[in-house]
Amino acid sequence: MNAPPPIIGVSENIKRIKELIKHIEDTGLNVVISGETGVGKELIAQNLYYNSPRRGEPFIKVNCAALPEGLLESELFGYEQGAFTGAQKRKRGKFELANRGVLFLDEIGDMSFPLQSKLLHVLQSGEYSPLGSEKQMQTDVWIISATNHELEQDIKNHAFREDLYYRLNIINIYIDPLRKRPEDIAHLVEYYIDTYRKQYGKENIPKPDPEQILKLQNYHWPGNVRELQNVLKKIMVFENWDEAIAGLELYRPEKIDLNATDKEKAILSEIFSVDRIDFNSMESFSLKKARKEIADRIEKEIISRVLEKTKWNRSKAATILKISYKTLLYKITDLDITMPSSE
Amino acid sequence: MSSFYRLLIIDDDEVTLESFKEFFQKKNFKVDVANDGLTGLKLLESETPAFDIVITDLVMPGISGVGVTAIVKKKFADMPVIAITGWGEHPEALASEAHADIVLRKPFELAKLEKIILEILDKKQSL
Repeated sequence: MNAPPPIIGVSENIKRIKELIKHIEDTGLNVVISGETGVGKELIAQNLYYNSPRRGEPFIKVNCAALPEGLLESELFGYEQGAFTGAQKRKRGKFELANRGVLFLDEIGDMSFPLQSKLLHVLQSGEYSPLGSEKQMQTDVWIISATNHELEQDIKNHAFREDLYYRLNIINIYIDPLRKRPEDIAHLVEYYIDTYRKQYGKENIPKPDPEQILKLQNYHWPGNVRELQNVLKKIMVFENWDEAIAGLELYRPEKIDLNATDKEKAILSEIFSVDRIDFNSMESFSLKKARKEIADRIEKEIISRVLEKTKWNRSKAATILKISYKTLLYKITDLDITMPSSE
Repeated sequence: MSSFYRLLIIDDDEVTLESFKEFFQKKNFKVDVANDGLTGLKLLESETPAFDIVITDLVMPGISGVGVTAIVKKKFADMPVIAITGWGEHPEALASEAHADIVLRKPFELAKLEKIILEILDKKQSL
């Protein structure tokens, strides 16, 4: 394997992953990489392998969702000649091919329950038999699995074996969806534009301007990094940024505060929602009025929270807000802030 | 002897960490805590050989307690590790395979954990 693309990003999530990889890359401990489709799980697996003492040995990938149970079993463990109708010659399984290297089990959450049991047995004993063979084969593979499932949930639903989970998941690497780490976007864009310029022979493609980056950061990226890569490839074809990113939706409430709880997010997106401003009544609309309306909404929310915190002790609240007692009383009336009836 | 012993306790549950810390500090241990495996390993690397023993929960996000045990035993071969497992979770066998010195199932009395720690460390010192 050539050097895989590096892991790119400056978000807490990505920094943590890089740090974690440094601590485990030489251990050979089984890893589960989880995260939504397109976040780059295989890239993490390749980086683990490439930085490990197993580099140079095989890196074998099996997609557990792509094959029906019986076929996947013979893919993994291989078979002897005549093991079943059509088995005309011996076939080496992925465990054998990956020996001393890495076996990358993609979409492990889609593996059938019976096959999970067989896999568990192999991991416990370090031995397996190809189909139709009596021979016990020794195995030395580093198992790196990937899934977009929440395996804990699958365990509760009896779709995934708990004991197998613990054996595979000695180390867990969770990659955040791209919408939760907009600060990574500029870095990803820079890296992949550079790569694609060379790949497509289009050295003249310009870098994005800050406004275009902002637009990319505002989009919610349901297809994650893979979708971003596709957009960047489109730019190579269109040779024009605005045309390639024109279709991306602008509005993304999560951008406001990445650490906010769901309730806070709901409030914030409500406050910031431009949809609520009535652009149609042109006579009454002005930017100044819109600005005041939004500022009022934020003030109301903040004052309400401080009052809630101080149990409606207005002089304490005024001190915290650094406004006079009189101003606070005025704001309470003006912004129509009411004391909860239970207090 | 216990006043000289320094513990590293790793658990992703803040309440457990706090109660362990309070208990062992009262018993004159020096206690450091980490709320995930990576933080714990980084502490160990920066402080070693100052810690005398590692006590780790088994089920944690990121580097699990089994991972912590295996890595500690690989990097600091004679560092004792006590692995603790929660209710309804059974990775004990894995912790033993990773060479944890003791695997302790919750619930247990902290006094029992203290006794185990002292047994391991006093024995180690007398060697």
